[in-house]
Amino acid sequence: MITVKNLKRYYGTGETAVKALRGVSFEIKKGEFVAIMGASGSGKTTLLRILALLDDATDGEYTIRGLQVSSLPEAERSYYRLTQVGYVFQDYALINEMSAAENVYILSMMEGKSRKESYKTALEALDKVGLKEKHNRIPDELSGGEKQRVAIARAIAKKPDILFADEPCANLDTRNSKQVLDVFKELNEKYGQTIIMVTHEPWHTEYVDRVITLEDGSLVSDEQKRR
Amino acid sequence: MIDDIRVGALIAYCSIKRGNKKTLMFIVFVLSLIFMNLVFLPSMIGGMTVLFTGMMQDYPYGDIVIEPSGDNTYINNADNVLQKVRAVEGVRAATKRLDVGASIEHKQKVVGVSITGLLPTEEYEVSRYPYIISEGDFIGELSRDEIIIGAMIAGTGFGSEIYDNLGEVRPGSLVDVTYSNGVKRTYKVKGIMEGTFELVDLNAIVHYKEIEEVYGLEGSKATSVVVRVDKQGSEDQVQDKIREAGVNEQIFTWADKSETLIKQAMQSMGAINIMSKFVSLIVGAALVLIIIYINVLNRKKEIGILKAVGITPGSIVLSYAFLSMFYVSLGIFAGLVLYFSLMFYFQANPVVFYETMEIRPQIDPVLLIESIVTMLTLSVIAGILPAWSVSKESILKAIWSR
Repeated sequence: MITVKNLKRYYGTGETAVKALRGVSFEIKKGEFVAIMGASGSGKTTLLRILALLDDATDGEYTIRGLQVSSLPEAERSYYRLTQVGYVFQDYALINEMSAAENVYILSMMEGKSRKESYKTALEALDKVGLKEKHNRIPDELSGGEKQRVAIARAIAKKPDILFADEPCANLDTRNSKQVLDVFKELNEKYGQTIIMVTHEPWHTEYVDRVITLEDGSLVSDEQKRR
Repeated sequence: MIDDIRVGALIAYCSIKRGNKKTLMFIVFVLSLIFMNLVFLPSMIGGMTVLFTGMMQDYPYGDIVIEPSGDNTYINNADNVLQKVRAVEGVRAATKRLDVGASIEHKQKVVGVSITGLLPTEEYEVSRYPYIISEGDFIGELSRDEIIIGAMIAGTGFGSEIYDNLGEVRPGSLVDVTYSNGVKRTYKVKGIMEGTFELVDLNAIVHYKEIEEVYGLEGSKATSVVVRVDKQGSEDQVQDKIREAGVNEQIFTWADKSETLIKQAMQSMGAINIMSKFVSLIVGAALVLIIIYINVLNRKKEIGILKAVGITPGSIVLSYAFLSMFYVSLGIFAGLVLYFSLMFYFQANPVVFYETMEIRPQIDPVLLIESIVTMLTLSVIAGILPAWSVSKESILKAIWSR
């Protein structure tokens, strides 16, 4: 489903250039739950941002189902982000002036669905993460774990092909982290959702099928876990 | 595009519904002052213009004034002209006048004036002269040795200290008038007129027949025929009709006369008005842009997030245009409330210039519409420009940079 070949990301040019990714290659199949691990500065978040079309690679190929997405113009990348890709930020990245439901259903509206239909979709997504009852709350009225689950609901409401999560439990305690990871696991097992998650917590790998480890911008291991 | 509008409207709606109300009130307050700045001074200048032009109509020129053609000093057979004019549809009243130069002397004080000979009973329908007698009475049909003196030359009205005046002149005082042809007459002052207008208060009035007699005029001569129309605004049509009725003298509307006589003053005021509008517009545009730009910068991260989750830049830009239009609409509404409150206040308590000239600001619907359209146009530009600029930034830069 995803093919990455010799992906590079340099910040700056010449000898002073920071090489965040030094030529990473791998493939991810549909329905896989993959963890990208590594120490701070290993390039895992940079890789995830490029895969989620939030950033551009300096060099290399990146295809989703054979389509070279890294070279798409911004308008098409925007459409791809809207329809094919879900992204869960480390700091939730919710719009503070929107309720949980509005944070979720705005994307369905962007896809052209009616407000009523979008609302229904949002409630379904919030139900999946156990927050249907709190759909009218704004982010400030939710706990950290609840905010992250709203962010997940936003990412999965549009039923994307791939769900990216950038250290989704970094700001959560163990109990809330487990809740979030349980949601990912259920999405993966029950709905066959492809999930690529950046994490630095070893115990998170209990939930995934495969662990890709980066070190200093290079892939140093690619290990199957569950299946 | 429709989806962009729907999503843009949703973002703007949420921002308004749950945004900081104090900030909103502050923005609206500032915008209302910007709107006031656009409309208030032009309204005051409009009031001054109305005051001056109103005085031109009420005293020397009426709505239409007929003057001798070519180099002639007088309109010959003014009664014939009056007969034709009065028969014209749309004419309410008309009268003839004789203006001459003279000097007035009282207790060794001499002042040069313009004296108007008029028919007192006809003036009640044509001018406000009979209604501005501050002391004494207006002259009557039989007044021959009586004169009405302007307050500034009498030494009683505002401006007396600026111009030469006769000092202690009051109703009943005797003054000696030497006309431009050398004829001397003594008159008893019947009244003092005060129109708070130099063209009135520096003049004097006697009966039409008095001038006729002094200058030995025959055949109903006049230096002007002053006409009032039934309906304000119909001056141009009535002017044409008078021409069609066979009046071959020069025919002017009050606007023509105002243009030549107080053209310079009006041009100066017009220039001030245009400059004031221009400066207000620039200041207004800058303030609206700054307010919205700060707002957009505070939401830069939000814009990055919206882009990251797939909201199109078009929706984001539209949301700020809607938001900006909402702020400005509220600002216009608050500005209108403030404006009309001030207008009503100044209608009841006019601004007084030169102690006597009361200026009531004019509410000009065209000016208001122009200002509203200008502010709304500005709001769209002010909303779109910064949002467009931020939406063009990379997602990561928008989310994480400050």
